[in-house]
Order: sequence, then structure tokens, then C-alpha cells
Amino acid sequence: MMQVLNNQESLWYFLPELALVATFVLIFILDLLPSIKNQKRALPIVAAIGVVFFLGLSVYVQQFPQALLFHGMIVGDSFTDFFRLFAGVSTLFALYFSVKSKELAKVKAEYWALILGIALGLPILAASNNLLMIYLSLELVSILSYVVVGSIYGSRASSEAALKYVLYGATASGIMIYGLSLLFGVSGTLDAIQIKAFLLSHPMERLPLFIGLLMTMAGFGYKVSMVPFHMWAPDVYQGAPTPVTSYLSVGPKAAGFAILLRFVYTALTTHNGADFEPIKSVDISGLMSVFAVATMTLGNVVAMWQKDTKRMLAYSSIAHAGYMLMAVAALNQQAIEGILFYLSAYLVMNFGAFGVAQAVMQESGTQDLESFKGLAKRGSKGSLAALAMTVFLISLTGLPPTIGFVGKFVLFSAVLEAKLYVLAVIGVLNSVVSLYYYARIIKYMYFDDPLSEDKFSFGSRSYPVLITFLALATLALGLFWEPLSVVVKNSAHLLS
Amino acid sequence: MISIQHYLLVSAAIFVLGLLTVATRRNALGILLGTELVLNAAALNMVIFGRYSNHMAEGSIYALFVIVLAAAEAAVALAVGLMIYRNFKTIDTVEVDDLKG
Amino acid sequence: MNTQFFIDYAWIIPLAPLVGFLINGIGTFLKLPYVRSKTVVHTIACGALLLSFIFAVGVFLHLSSLEPEARSITRYLYTWLQVGSLKADAAFLLDPLSSVMMLIITGVGFLIHVYSIGYMADDPSYSRFFTYLNLFCFAMLLLVMGDNLLMLFIGWEGVGLCSYLLIGFWFKEKANAQAGMKAFVVNRIGDFAFLLGMFLLFWTMYDYGHASVTFKEIGQHVGLIKDVEVGGWPVLVLVGILLFIGATGKSAQVPLYVWLPDAMAGPTPVSGLIHAATMVTAGIYMIGRLNFVYTLAPEALVVVATVGAVTALFAATIGFAQNDIKKVLAYSTVSQLGYMFLGMGTGAYAAGIFHLMTHAFFKACLFLGSGSVILGMHHEQDMRKMGGLKKYMPVTYWTFLLATIAIAGIFPFSGFFSKDEILWKAFEAGGHISSWYYVLWGLGIAGAMGTAFYMFRAVSMTFYGELGARAHEVPAEEASHGHDDDHGHHGHGDHTPHESPKTMTFALSVLALLSVVGGFLGIPYALGHFFHVPNFFEHWLEPVLNHGGGHHGGHHSVPPIEYGLMIFSVAIALTASYLGYLFYTKRQDLPKKFVAKFPKLHALALNKYYVDEIYQALVVNNLLRLNNFLSAFDAKVVDGAVNAVGSVVRVYSRVMGFWDATFVDGLVNGVAQLVRQLGRALRKTQTGRIQNYLYVAMLGVVILMIWRML
Repeated sequence: MMQVLNNQESLWYFLPELALVATFVLIFILDLLPSIKNQKRALPIVAAIGVVFFLGLSVYVQQFPQALLFHGMIVGDSFTDFFRLFAGVSTLFALYFSVKSKELAKVKAEYWALILGIALGLPILAASNNLLMIYLSLELVSILSYVVVGSIYGSRASSEAALKYVLYGATASGIMIYGLSLLFGVSGTLDAIQIKAFLLSHPMERLPLFIGLLMTMAGFGYKVSMVPFHMWAPDVYQGAPTPVTSYLSVGPKAAGFAILLRFVYTALTTHNGADFEPIKSVDISGLMSVFAVATMTLGNVVAMWQKDTKRMLAYSSIAHAGYMLMAVAALNQQAIEGILFYLSAYLVMNFGAFGVAQAVMQESGTQDLESFKGLAKRGSKGSLAALAMTVFLISLTGLPPTIGFVGKFVLFSAVLEAKLYVLAVIGVLNSVVSLYYYARIIKYMYFDDPLSEDKFSFGSRSYPVLITFLALATLALGLFWEPLSVVVKNSAHLLS
Repeated sequence: MISIQHYLLVSAAIFVLGLLTVATRRNALGILLGTELVLNAAALNMVIFGRYSNHMAEGSIYALFVIVLAAAEAAVALAVGLMIYRNFKTIDTVEVDDLKG
Repeated sequence: MNTQFFIDYAWIIPLAPLVGFLINGIGTFLKLPYVRSKTVVHTIACGALLLSFIFAVGVFLHLSSLEPEARSITRYLYTWLQVGSLKADAAFLLDPLSSVMMLIITGVGFLIHVYSIGYMADDPSYSRFFTYLNLFCFAMLLLVMGDNLLMLFIGWEGVGLCSYLLIGFWFKEKANAQAGMKAFVVNRIGDFAFLLGMFLLFWTMYDYGHASVTFKEIGQHVGLIKDVEVGGWPVLVLVGILLFIGATGKSAQVPLYVWLPDAMAGPTPVSGLIHAATMVTAGIYMIGRLNFVYTLAPEALVVVATVGAVTALFAATIGFAQNDIKKVLAYSTVSQLGYMFLGMGTGAYAAGIFHLMTHAFFKACLFLGSGSVILGMHHEQDMRKMGGLKKYMPVTYWTFLLATIAIAGIFPFSGFFSKDEILWKAFEAGGHISSWYYVLWGLGIAGAMGTAFYMFRAVSMTFYGELGARAHEVPAEEASHGHDDDHGHHGHGDHTPHESPKTMTFALSVLALLSVVGGFLGIPYALGHFFHVPNFFEHWLEPVLNHGGGHHGGHHSVPPIEYGLMIFSVAIALTASYLGYLFYTKRQDLPKKFVAKFPKLHALALNKYYVDEIYQALVVNNLLRLNNFLSAFDAKVVDGAVNAVGSVVRVYSRVMGFWDATFVDGLVNGVAQLVRQLGRALRKTQTGRIQNYLYVAMLGVVILMIWRML
């Protein structure tokens, strides 16, 4: 059995999160000083420094032995460590793109603080071991997200997105905690580890258990935009400021997968995920397979029809969630590694694609996909943007030699190892379909005439450097993925 | 004698009524009210199960947190509602449908 | 000379083109000054390939100095990836098969690079072109040198990507961009099957305790899963067929060949590279490399052989009707690849690889020759506007003619040895495997006849007669286009055809020489034993392909029928060649007389000398009025018969063309359309109203509850 630490001992494990909380408070204090308030760049830089501290401390706390923290409310294991790093890195990207965003030029201090608040929620969500913590951290991420989505003052789209998000999110979390309350009712405990113990010793009637689980899945499913709980995603992604969209599609989605994995793994499986013994009466694997097929297929086929860049990427991100859900259905050791790897791949390629898209949309003043037309012919910056975008799109499609290929490969191997052959076939077919709409952008960039004669510009000197870095990372990790694979392998050990 | 079944029936009824409200109200605030009902049904469940399974504290604490977060959510939702009214001059959700497809 | 050096540094072979690609690519991309000098660009690109070639020769020499059993060296570089039980190294496998492929790719590739110096001289995107060429060679070398399935797949995808870039090279023209897209998408369909086959093989091996993707280990342990079945099918047959579907995409076989003729839109040297030395041979190589899988899956082999034989004939007949010189060669490639698959499917792996090599020589020569003609004609590809070029372009003419004789399979040119070997093996298989192979042999012979006919037709139309004598056959509306290659070469004052520059004729001459003598590497035992010349090629590949169904050790008696068949096929090739020559030079009246018999149709046709169109009109009408068609026989029996045969063949090619356009394209489009419509329907559910979204979520929960509770 694992070591359970009390609150005082647990604080050492919680240092990274404490650093974020401190920065969060600091931002509001600094905002009161007039000299700082007038410095546009000061607060995001403070926020970034806070995140860097967070990352540093995350690495530092990895040396502590794995343990259950705060009397078992959250878990300090390598899986949590992974998502700390993941949250930190994606928050840094989000901060950078927010600074470069024209839509967000007028935001106040709250915005930066809220981004940090979301960053705080992500690792806690990934670490939650208790139904109460799951609910609290999920709401921490959600409620703050509602606000940042609506942070473009006076924009119809942004406010509509926020409204839809908040109404959908409130309903979904309501359904989720009703489900959690049923789980509490049947098992008499809120602790995931004890739920498993209870289920193992008391074989359950399947009806209340199944309804409870299904409703809980609705809450997680909404976070990872799983069909049929995905419908908020396209509208919110389209209306939200671009940096927020890219952040939402990476950070909270990853945290959603983390808690989905942890909850299913801790409460519902034995033998390292290989066996769904506690809930023999409910076919979780089959249920997840259905979700996976529906999610990736819907995401891909609807994406074909999109004319709006962000909306297209929104559907594409739904499709990618579908690929990862396949591995949740498999849920063996490899599947967990596969999801972690795919999430890392997705972080790199998705921020890259959104980064180029943001630059293009800002430069053209429209979100229309056609603003990519002839990008490659618009000067050296244009061809750089087009080349980088091509790399990201190839990676999103899952072709070598990019990290997206390796990610898909690892995922599909896990699915095949679980002998879910049909699922794998549907997955591969889906990636063929996705080629259609990704390749269309490549065609726009290289084969069509530009709509504007002006030379393309990123609007900033550091922007192309970052994009180039991401593109190179996409390629380099596609060829030398060993280091990342080692990190993932070491992180895929959940404490239970 | 009032048994656990009676309490559960009440909470289930509140849950369903909440969902029905969400499904039928066009007004954004109406939908919000519906979600509050859903949340309260869950909170009630927590208290009941805690009471009948000798985990009184856990269930009640959970209910407290649900109430607190519901308030936080409502605050954000109301702010968003105000913003919508400023941009659309209505809070009828049927008319807020620029984003679709 | 110590050839061990070449083995130690074998990684230079793929690295050199990669470095060339990087240097030229970065220069082109950043617009650095050095790429403005064409000399620098092509020196880097050609130099890289030359270096690779030298090392490939070195590797070959080293391997040949070893004992046959020892000729398999794995050069480990680093562990490329490891997931669970799956481990793949970045490692090169140097053995007789890969060394042959390396020699072909680097050797023929180098000649094509040299040729491109002349061909692309006026193109504004000179450096971009060479960048792509180097990348292509790199990907192909990776494909043939990798010691495991994953590296093969990476190269496989890589050549797909490069071909897409190269075909769409002149991307300003929409048709080219679309051809590139089509190539890419069709290849993806094949790759999908390939990937499935790969996974299936790996996981079955995994279940039996030998999880490995390296060829060596698969080869050692594949026997374990010989009797495993999946859903009632032997798993190896499934694997073989799935991998072969991948090969039909990459190697342009029925029914996934549609991209190849369209892909003629790219610059001619690219067509030569894709068709002769690299991409399309990947499928053949894959089967050769995995011969141990196929040998254990005879049903899969029958599929391979049948598809090959059908493609060989099918594509040859389409070749009759083409007027675009590059289209003729394109269908010819499809057809010749069919022969290679026929050879592989017969279990005569060495013969298939041998034909791959001789084909690389003569097809590269033909493509580059056609490029030379196109350049000489100022970017004209329509053969009806050519004629009499013999006088203006002697070097091109002679090299083209030699390669044509080779492809027609006339003794003693290289095509004879390789094609005849395949046909003989198929015939032999008819005796001791299944009489179905006799049918395949028949298809092959018919295809060989067709090959000789359309190739000599092409030679006659291009090089004999008078320049432009047929130009009036081109209908007015077609006259304006057909300038696919028209780029950056304007401003030629006179329009007399001219011979091409030295770099081009040099490459042509070398390739023509190889086309003539290349066959002597693999003289069949039946002929060789008179002079005590061994079949060098087959012996060389024997360590790799020793599972083949060929006759080992049974070299003592040669069945007389083998000589008979040889003479038969040469006779057929000669006859068809002569007819091809006759119809399009001296007796052009034969087709015309046939036309005169049918004044009505004649009036219907736009232009009576426009032979192809009239043939097609005749055919369509005759199908409606069969009596009329039969009555054509009583006029002049010879003329009539000859033309009837022509007609039948043309019906066939016409129908096949229709089938191709409607069915294959239709199927591909149909599936795409279905997916698109599904997307459109699903899209409508996203109404923009938040409550509808919530309905969907609630409905989803309810449906799942009911579904799971029942």
C-alpha cells in the first residue's frame, strides 16, 4: 500500500502549484502599481516567470518518492509530474501567443491571472484521486475558461462563445456530479482507490453503477470534446481569441484525458489496466470504442466542410481526441504511454498550426481559410510560414517523418495490442480522410494565387523564430523520438 | 416512515425537472436556473447518501462545495449574460446563433 | 583495394543525396546567392549521386568478394524507436538484392541528374528541381536499404511525398497540381492496406513470441505462423494480399494505377526517374524482400500474378490509342510493371527483379529520349505533330530505337532475356503449379505483342515520314493545348527541331548501351549452357531469393518447348513491330481504306485522316450495328481482318478507358462523395443553438443507457 501523507508533509510536493498561486496573487498586487499597470508587457512577463518557476519546481519535486497527498485527496506520482510539465509548457506557449495577439491587445491584468489559474487547475485535475477533487479542479479549469473565452471586449463572437460555453459547461458538470453522487451512493466512499476495493469485494448491480459511470463520462467527455458531448467545441473555438483556442485545445483537453485515464485506471481496473475486473458487468472498453469511433469520424468528416480556419482546427481537434479515445478503450500500459506521447506530439504540432494560423488571420484580418491562398508566394516570410504550416499539417495527418506519425504509430500499436482490430482500421481510415482537408490548406498555400500582393509578415521578429523552432521540433521528434519516449515511459506509471 | 428511497425520489425529480428546464427555456437565465436545479439535486444526493452510509461528513462537505461552486458559476454566467445583452440586445439563446455549421 | 571501407561507410549512400538536398534546399529556401549559379547547384546534386554510386559499386564489389552465404551484412546505426515489444533500429541491410537496387537507383538516377542539367537549363526553378530530385533519391535509397519494415515504410511514404512534389513541380498549372494530389491520394489508399498488412504480420509474429520487424528475423521465424488463421483465412495470405494492395498503389497496378498516366504532368526527367529507377519499382522490391512470406502464401502469389498479367495486357492495349508520346510511355510502364508482378507471382523472384533492372535501363532511355524529342520540338508532346525527326535528331533517334527494340523483346536485346524468362517461368508454372498460369502466360504473350506494336507505332510516328505530315489529323480544338511542358522556354526564333545538348545525349547513349547489353547479365540456362555462360543475375540473388520456385539444380535438361516458346515470342514481337511500323509509315492507306468503306461514318467524323478518332467512331457505331461491322470483311479480306483486329483492340482500350474514367475514378470519387455528404449532414446538426447542443448530449446519454441496458 502506498504511503499517505498528511497536509503538512504534502506541502513539499505541492511547491510548484504554490508558486503558481503566489504568481497569481502577485499579478493582482502589481496591477495596483500605476508604473506597472502602464507597462503592457510587464504582467505577461511576470506570469511567464511564474510558470518557469513552476516548471523548475516541478522538476525539483520529481525526486520525492511517490505518495498519496493531503490524506489521499491527490496523488503525487510520475503521471502527475508529466502533466505538470505539460501544463507549464503549454501555458508558456499560450502566454506568448496572447502577447502577440491583436485581439487581446486591450486585456487587463485579470487575463494573465486567469491563464495562470487554468494552469493551476490542470495538474491538480490530473492528480485527483477523490471525487471531490475531481469536481473542484474540473470546475477551476472550466469557470476560468468561460471568462477567458469571453475576453474580447465588445466582440459578438467572443461573447456568444462564452455564453455557449458556460451554459453547456454548467449543464455537463451538473450531470457529472449527479453521476458522481450515484457512485458515492453505491460505494459509500469518495476515494477512487477505495471505490475499487469496494467494487471488488461487492459485485454490483449494473444499473446504478452504469448510470453513474455514464453520467461521469459525460463530464469528462465534455472536457475532452468527446461525441456526443462535443457540440460546444466548434462554436467556442471559433469565437474565442485564437491563443485561448489553441490553449483550450491542448491544455484542458490533455488534463481531461489525464483524469479520464486516472479515474478509469484507478477505480475500475486491476492488473495495470489490463482487466476491468471491478466492473465486469459494464463493458467500459466497448463503450469507449463507440465514443472513439463516433468522435474521430464526426470530427474528420465535418472538418472537410469548414471554411473558417479556427472552426476547421476545432473539428480537427475533436478528431484527434477520437484517436486518443481509442487508446482509452485499450487501456493497457502501452495505451497510457501512447496517449501521453500523442498528447506531447499534439502540443507541438497544434501550437505550431495555431501559431501560423494566428499570424495569417491577423495579417489578413479574416478567419477565412482562403486567406492561406498563395501564402508560399508572398515573400520569404510567406514561404517560411507556408513551409512550417505544411510540416504541421503533415504531422497532424500522421505522415512520416514527423512526430504526428510516431504518435499515431504508438497509439495504433497499443490499440492493436489490445486486439481491437476494427477500431484500428477505422482509425487509419479516418486519418486518410483527414488528409483531404489538411492537404487542401497545403494546396491553397502553394498552388493558388495570393489574394493580396503584399509580402507576408508575422508582425514580430521573434514570431517566425518560434514557429521555425516548432516546425523543427515536429520533424526532429519524428526522427529521434527516443528521449520523449523515455520520458513518457517513465511517466506512465499511475499510483493506485 | 421516510426512507432513503423517498429522498432519492425527490432528488431524482429535481434532477429531471432541472434538465427539463434546461431543455425548454430559451432565456439564458432560465437555462442557468435549470442547471442550478441539477446541481442541487446532486448536492441533495450527496447529503442523503452520506447520511445513510455513515459517511455523514464526506457527503455534507461535498454538498457545501457544490453550493459554493454553483454560486461561482452563476456569477460568471450572469456576467457573460450581461455581455451578451450588450452585444445582441437580447438574452434569448435562439437568437444567439452566429456561430454554427 | 580494400572494399571493407565501403561497407563501413555504407551510410554515405543515402546520406550524400540528403546532404545535397539540404545544401540546395536551404539555399533555395533562403534565396542564398550560391544557388543562383546553376553550375554550383547541379555539381552538388550530381556529385552527391555520383558519390552514392561509387559507394554502391564498392558495396557490390565487397559483397561479390564474399562467400554467397555471407553476403548479408547489417550496418547498425542507432536504435530508432522502441515501443513496448516493438523495436526498430536505424540499420542498413546490405545484401545482393539491396545492392542491385542501390546500383540501379544511384546509377540510373545519376544519369537522369546529368540529363536534367540540359533539360531544365532554362527553367527558373532550377535549384528547386534538383533539390527535389536529391530528396527523391534519398527516400528511395532509404526504402531499399532499410533492414526492417518500418524503414521501408518511411521510404515508401517518402517517395510518395516526393513524387507529389515533383509531379506538381510546375504547380502554377492547375492540372499539374491536381495530378499531384491524385497521385498522393491514390497512394494513400494503397499505403493504408500496406500499413494494415505490416501490423497484422507484426502482431501475429508477436503472438508467437518473435516480435520483430527486421527482415532477417521475420524470414527466420515466419514459418511459425504458417498455419495461423484469422477469420478463416491463413494470416500470411492476408498479409501478402494487403501488402500487395499497397504495392498496386505504389507500382501502379490495376485498379490503383490511375495516378500514373496523370502524373505525366511533371517535367520529363521526373517521369523517367519515377517510372524507371525508383518509385514504381518499390512494390516489386517489397515482394522480393518479403519473398519468404509470399512463398508460404501461394494464394497471395496467384493474386499477384493475376493482377500482374491482367495489367500487362490491359495497359498495353490502352497504349495503342494514345497520341501523347509521354502517355504511351506511361501506359507502357504500367504494362511492364505487370510483367514484373507476373514474375514475382510465379515465384520467379529473380526474373522479376531482373526485368526491373533491364526495364530501368530501357525505360529511362525511352523517357529521356521522349524528353529530348519534346525539347527538340519546342515543347510539343503530340506525336501527330511530329514525324521525320530521324533527320534532325540522330542521337535521340538511334538511342530511342535501340531502347524500343529492347522493350519489344527482340533477341538479343536486354528486354528479350528478362521478359522471356518471366513468360517461360509462367508457362512452366502452368505445368507444375496450376493450369491457371497458362492463362496468365497467354495474357502475357498478348501483352508482349501489344508492346511491340505500340512502341513501333510511336517510333514511326515520331521519327519516320515527314515532319508534321500528320499535323492536319489533329482536330482544331486540340491543337491549342498539349503544351504541358511549356515553361520558360519561349523566344525560340526558328521552329526547326534540333538535337539536344551534350549532357542529354550523353545520358541517352549510356542508357541505350545498357539497354542493349544489360540482358547478358541474366542469360537463361537454356541459352547460356551452349557457351558455358552462367545466369549471373540469378546466382547473385540466390542467397536472398532462395525460396523461389525456380528450377534449382535442375539445370541439366532443357525442355525443347522452352526453345519453341522463345522463338515464338520473338516471332510475335517481330511481327507486331513490323505491323506497327507498316501501318504508320508505308501503308497508312490501310487504315484509311477501311474508313472509305463507311461514308456515313466518314461524314460523321470530323476529320477522315484522324485515324484514332475514326477508329473509335467506327467501333462505337459498329457495336450498335453488328451486321455492318461483319460486312466489312467481304471487301478486302486482308485489310478488313487487319482492321477488325485493330478495331477489337480499340474497342477494348476504349471500354477500358471508359471503365477507368467512370468506374475507378467513380469509385474513388464515390467514396469521397459519401464521406463528404456524411460530413454535410452531420454539420447541419450544429445549428448554433445551445439548447440543441444540450439535446444531443442528453439524447446521447439516453441512447447509450438504453443500448447498454438491453
